[in-house]
Amino acid sequence: MSEALLVQEAGAATTAAPASGASPFWQRLRTQRAVLVAAVVVALLVLIALGAPLLAAIEGQDPTTYHPKLVDSATGGVPLGSFGGISAEHWLGVEPLTGRDLFARVAYGARVSLGVALAATVAQVVIGVAVGLSAGLGNRYVDQALSRITDVMVALPVMVIALGVLTVVPASVPRPVLIAGVIGLVGWAGISKIVRAQTLSLKSRDHVAAARLSGWGGVQIARRELLPALAAPVITYSVLLFPADIVVEAALSFLGVGIKPPTPSWGQMLSDADTWYQAAPTYLLIPAALLFVTVFALTVLGEGVRTALDPRAASRLPIGTSRKKSGKKSGKKKEAGA
Amino acid sequence: MRQLSPRAASTAAIALVLALGAAACGPKDSGAASSDGGAPQKGGTLTVLNAKAQTNFDPARLYTSGGGNVPSLVFRTLTTRNREDGAAGSKVVPDLATDTGRPSKDATVWTYTLKSGLKYEDGTAITSADIKYGIERSFASELSGGAPYLRDWLIGAANYQGPYKDKKGLASIETPDAKTIVFHLNKPEGEFPFLATQTQTTPVPQAKDKGAKYELHPLSSGPYKVVKNEGDGERLTLERNKYWSGDDERKAYPDKIDVRSGLDSAVINQRLSASAGTDAAAVTTDTNLGPAELAKVTGDKKLAARVGTGHFGYTNYLAINPKVKPFDNPKVRQAISYAVDRTSVVNAAGGSSLAEAATTVLPTQKSFGYTAYDAFPAGESGNAAKAKELLKEAGYPKGLTVTLTHSNDKDFATSPEIATSLQEALKKAGITVKLQGLETNAYNDTIYNVKSEPGLFLGGWGADWPSGGPFLAPLFDGRQIVKNGYNFNAAQLNDASVNSEIDAINKLTDLDAAAKRWGALDKKIGAQALTVPLFHPVYKRLYGSAIKNVVISDWTGVLDISQVAVK
Repeated sequence: MSEALLVQEAGAATTAAPASGASPFWQRLRTQRAVLVAAVVVALLVLIALGAPLLAAIEGQDPTTYHPKLVDSATGGVPLGSFGGISAEHWLGVEPLTGRDLFARVAYGARVSLGVALAATVAQVVIGVAVGLSAGLGNRYVDQALSRITDVMVALPVMVIALGVLTVVPASVPRPVLIAGVIGLVGWAGISKIVRAQTLSLKSRDHVAAARLSGWGGVQIARRELLPALAAPVITYSVLLFPADIVVEAALSFLGVGIKPPTPSWGQMLSDADTWYQAAPTYLLIPAALLFVTVFALTVLGEGVRTALDPRAASRLPIGTSRKKSGKKSGKKKEAGA
Repeated sequence: MRQLSPRAASTAAIALVLALGAAACGPKDSGAASSDGGAPQKGGTLTVLNAKAQTNFDPARLYTSGGGNVPSLVFRTLTTRNREDGAAGSKVVPDLATDTGRPSKDATVWTYTLKSGLKYEDGTAITSADIKYGIERSFASELSGGAPYLRDWLIGAANYQGPYKDKKGLASIETPDAKTIVFHLNKPEGEFPFLATQTQTTPVPQAKDKGAKYELHPLSSGPYKVVKNEGDGERLTLERNKYWSGDDERKAYPDKIDVRSGLDSAVINQRLSASAGTDAAAVTTDTNLGPAELAKVTGDKKLAARVGTGHFGYTNYLAINPKVKPFDNPKVRQAISYAVDRTSVVNAAGGSSLAEAATTVLPTQKSFGYTAYDAFPAGESGNAAKAKELLKEAGYPKGLTVTLTHSNDKDFATSPEIATSLQEALKKAGITVKLQGLETNAYNDTIYNVKSEPGLFLGGWGADWPSGGPFLAPLFDGRQIVKNGYNFNAAQLNDASVNSEIDAINKLTDLDAAAKRWGALDKKIGAQALTVPLFHPVYKRLYGSAIKNVVISDWTGVLDISQVAVK
């Protein structure tokens, strides 16, 4: 705890939460109602993703079985019945042409969307933090080299690179792993830049200097002195990266280079549904609405986390101003520090 | 037998055939009533809304079936397709010539006589020497693109370099006088009249030939001449050729034809259904209605009345390569044949209005020699029990795992929907199917190469003309297996009895008799379970609200632009 205290005394804005302020953090998060709603939505989606086989079993369907009798073959394969064939057996109706169950496909699709985005975000954070820290702590040459590489990576358009790589790599490589890997390998530059800048400013602080004088090595300093202080910006950034990665995966699947059939993914469902917007609107609306809700909820959640971790923003929360004494105090203190 | 040369002809060819698609027009009994009443009148401007440009608009370079749709407005050929609705439209009829050709006894020499009074757009007379020159220049490497048949069939043509390099020309094409042309073939070919419909038999006067630049202003022999060609056929403006003396096939009602390409298929269908302004007098020669668009159109009676339906001779199938294990075992192939669920496949291909279940390789039109058979009756939704039984006999009592290669195109033909529907059906028979989806180019390079050909893949075939020959010969003639290049004999079948039957049928000049034997041959090969026929596609296309006289032949399956009137 000593290092955290030092940091606080030094007045670093971003350090409060993880070290000494775990409970104020939750407190600040809880006061934002929109964030609570978003958190519940995200939790539900995660449950759907994790429990997809179970939910499909409860419904009595699976995502790949064809039901040729449930579509009107003569008119191009529109689902029979109203609202895309929604019924007690098929909760969200069936897919045009094939008659596959949409609820099962959406639930299984959630696994791909959330799973790939999570893996990609983790990869981005790990690479970004590693590169950023090394650049911040390394000597002039290391910093120069890594920073230039980071600049190049910032300039690289993720979508274009991913499109290229995914088209070339043979189909035998498991697609979800590949997509997560590509997004991770191309999209880490933002985090790396933040971490480097933060590291440079922390490096000159007294507690880091003290650690160095005590003869600590670079790795030890990074782990014990820097990482705790970096947690806030990194967490904030990664919570915002996550929905962006969902969108990238959906876009890649939409363009036909992402997840391969018969595995469903939301982006791929959108891609198949794009011509059906007039003939079978629910087919398009369901994956589109889910994608929208997911990304929106995650973005709200990300914003909430950022607000809770950022003392300047937190000071504008009710607890940060008048309602609670402790909150007011800490808020003011941060403000002064910043 | 026609040897498809190693160049990538065929797929490109089929695509082109579809794009340029020749539709027939019913001349005399144009009973094909269309939208509003009233007899079709001359005049007006017809707009053509297309996805693909009319690239390389040179008769030497076009790969067409029956002379093409737009090309046939400008280029007349020795023979052409009969422009009538349905089955009557799959006949060959004379165009520049007085008849469809007079064969020698063994069908190796074909003689044509030109009609009188034929003129180009500049008023000069069309001669048989111009037709010979037109064919010769199609051999020049800078004017490549046509079908390989002329090179394969004409004596001494295999290594001919075209008239720019070889001034002597082809000795196997004789022009004893200005109206007569004689072809000497290296083997009997009873279907030469079909070949003579292709644009390579269009006359080109040597004095006007500008080589590769000729396509900018080809000399018209047909009802229209090219007045403007922008962006390599992206925008083509055609106006009346006043020296066209009229012919029995082309109606040529509109005064002007405006071809606009480079449009998205969704845009084309949207504009045709809205039919606003000049789009009311518009048609498309390359864009079909997709399943979702069909679903929307069928819900609207007015729109549904503006849909032209046709059958082009095409078959989509599951191709099996017996050189790959375990497909060398006939019982495994039979098990797969029994297991397919054609109802699901047809649905995945767009439903029963856009696809008809197939159990034969030959399309169902009479001209192909269609002979009904169902060698391995799978019923409507597959016979999993019978398939399991066969697998057991083949030594796979616990089932087996195979890989199915398909394309990632959204074409409802070789696309993932079809592949997953087969995956599901085969699962019921204990066959686990792994899917290998490839992008268009990789897909074509893989399946048409004997070295990389997968054991099981989604394929399809459309013939260059409506006969069993250009269907069965490329697919099953053992001498047409191409080792270093595009190979279409997917089964790599080299069966002496099949080869000799193909030769025997090619000698026939009675095309009805030939058709019957093609049908019998199809049935015979079908028993070997080398391909699993899945469906024959049906073409549905919208046309504008002012369009009259819609004629759709079985040759092309699409509306014939030479018959359309806008007034």
